[in-house]
Amino acid sequence: MNFFTSLVFSAILLGCTYTLVAIGYCLFFGVLDVVVFCSGDIAIFGAFSIISAYVMLYDLGLFQVLPIAVTTMIILAVAALLCALLSILTYRVSIKPFERSSALMPLLSTIALGTVIREFLGLLFRPLLMTITGPITRVADPINITSGRNPQAMPKLIAPNSSIDVRNYIIIAVTFLIILLLFLFLNKTKMGLSMQAISQNKELAYMNGINVRKTINITFVIGGIMLAIGGFLLGSYQSVVRFDTGSLYGSKGFSAAVVGGLKSIWGAIIGGMLLGFVEVFVSGLIPGGTQYQNIIAFLVVIVFIVFKPEGILGEKVIEKV
Amino acid sequence: MKKYSFIVSALMIVVVLLSAAVPAFAAPDVVTLGFLAPITGACSAEGSAARNAFMMAIDEANASGEYPYTINVIVIDDQSDPTVGAAGAQKIVSDPTVVAATGHWNSGVAAATSPVFMENEIPFLIWGAIREDLTSEKTYPWVTRSAPTDVQENKPLAKTVIDDLGYTKIFMVSTTDSYGSGNTVAFKKELASRGLEPVGVEEVQSETVDFNAIVTKIVSSGAEAVYWGGVNTEGVYLKEQLYNAKADVLFFGISGIKTDDFLIIGKEAAEGTFAVQPGVRLDSSEAGRKFIEDYESRGFDVAINAYTPYAYEAATILLQALKTLGDDPTPEKMVDAIAKGTFHGVMGETTFDEIGQTTLVAVNLNVIQDGQWVYYEDSEYASGVRKFGGKE
Repeated sequence: MNFFTSLVFSAILLGCTYTLVAIGYCLFFGVLDVVVFCSGDIAIFGAFSIISAYVMLYDLGLFQVLPIAVTTMIILAVAALLCALLSILTYRVSIKPFERSSALMPLLSTIALGTVIREFLGLLFRPLLMTITGPITRVADPINITSGRNPQAMPKLIAPNSSIDVRNYIIIAVTFLIILLLFLFLNKTKMGLSMQAISQNKELAYMNGINVRKTINITFVIGGIMLAIGGFLLGSYQSVVRFDTGSLYGSKGFSAAVVGGLKSIWGAIIGGMLLGFVEVFVSGLIPGGTQYQNIIAFLVVIVFIVFKPEGILGEKVIEKV
Repeated sequence: MKKYSFIVSALMIVVVLLSAAVPAFAAPDVVTLGFLAPITGACSAEGSAARNAFMMAIDEANASGEYPYTINVIVIDDQSDPTVGAAGAQKIVSDPTVVAATGHWNSGVAAATSPVFMENEIPFLIWGAIREDLTSEKTYPWVTRSAPTDVQENKPLAKTVIDDLGYTKIFMVSTTDSYGSGNTVAFKKELASRGLEPVGVEEVQSETVDFNAIVTKIVSSGAEAVYWGGVNTEGVYLKEQLYNAKADVLFFGISGIKTDDFLIIGKEAAEGTFAVQPGVRLDSSEAGRKFIEDYESRGFDVAINAYTPYAYEAATILLQALKTLGDDPTPEKMVDAIAKGTFHGVMGETTFDEIGQTTLVAVNLNVIQDGQWVYYEDSEYASGVRKFGGKE
């Protein structure tokens, strides 16, 4: 791979990680018009759930008996379930009580909940896991369960015996597959269409007999599952996960969603890729440019907010007074 | 009767005066030391091992019966955060029984707490923060440091990698924080003194996780070696991503990466990482071997890291200084006892120079071989069985 192709490849991969979190924002914002700021933390919680499920399966001896594809699916299912529960909890605890308040209230409460999730992982990840599995400190190289505040090795579950390039191609392919499945779900199923109806006009959706409460709950379940897969993919890509990176992914994912248009899934891809490309190319092409990559990336975000506040694929809302 | 009542009153006054004066002559029941380290947070492996070693020395001292008071320790978890560290320092100085404090693995945190200790005239010994300007004429004698500085660590590292191993095309990556920028300056000076320039210099913000663009740059620059001037928190990502990109380079750095947390990326990805560690080889002396044995026998869940012996050494210095002051140590007496004393510990003999910097400068070299840190001279890299990256 030459210099330029290698940069493009890195940018696409980084863009994928931002896109996965950005889609979470889009899904929640689309249905409820609220920004769920702890989306990045839910994704990192997903990555930690993967590690926990891996250790538990290993402890039970299943990992050594079952084929890796089966164990991976079990691990993913556990993480998806936990993230879906956390996502529903997010809705119940920090969004639903503020339904009739200003939009700032759920924003603040989800920021606060993000801190709670981070601290929960930092403080309780190891003690909780050790309570379930017993005193295991070294499961298998390189999984070494230390305090939740330390960096944790992500189990190599995607093409473990192939080259890193193959793993990265799979990560990109799975990201786009998930987006495609989500697109089909939103446009071809009754539930997806209900979500879109609520997104466009909640009152009218009520009047048309759509069960709004149920639809919102299902949106949070799907959002949680999406973020669990997001956490799995970005953990697999980075190979190491840290409990405190959720806020970083959260702010980047949110920026990507805003640039793309908060209610558009395709916009989230464009926004995520734009951020990924700006960061990688500033770092890769400008000598000593890495220290400026975040400044330039966020300047791009500000420029978009100023000149295209509705986002690249967002719709302009004109209110008649 | 009047006469007796006068005598009784006079006696009572004498008793009251004596009882008030007694504590001034008697030894205090408790003498307190402050200890600050990142026990949680990204650098918790270093911080908690240091806390374990420090408390081990204090427990031994209390059990020995050699001190006419109980030595109490206020342990502060600075979380590698200057504001948390400064708040902890305030807590320490507000305790009237405190006579000295020791702290920090992170230079930025030490820079934030040193003024607090100086203003409150509490002697402060730095056990693990290495930025050069933390000890100076301005901070002497209140601030002393028993660990070598970043300059003292980078010098022998540069000598080995450039002069002995022959690497000249070096790409430098550091963090923009106080620790990283200190290393960037120190290692650039080492290169310049040999008429060399780095083939590339990149600085990343703390908590960076994606280094792939830098890795692409490193590969295309033709670098033979990558100098990492940060701690393991970000360094572990860079090493992993260099491995993933199959970059044929030597990855080396100073003691910030010499921790077991660096091994989580797996033995293949971590293999051949080269790091300097301050201090003498612990297994080369009786005292060092005893320290390893004692630490391991206590079953701590964190292994000995690069600065763990330095935390133990800091405890030794404070304890030996306390001993010279008999039964009435005060912060005013401790400051001279530390700055002008001579101490014997697991590292050898420590004295402090005119700016409070230790005169005991020793380093050893380490390499990751098969998923473990081993002394370089004992490794298959030194014997020629294995080869570092970046060389034919």
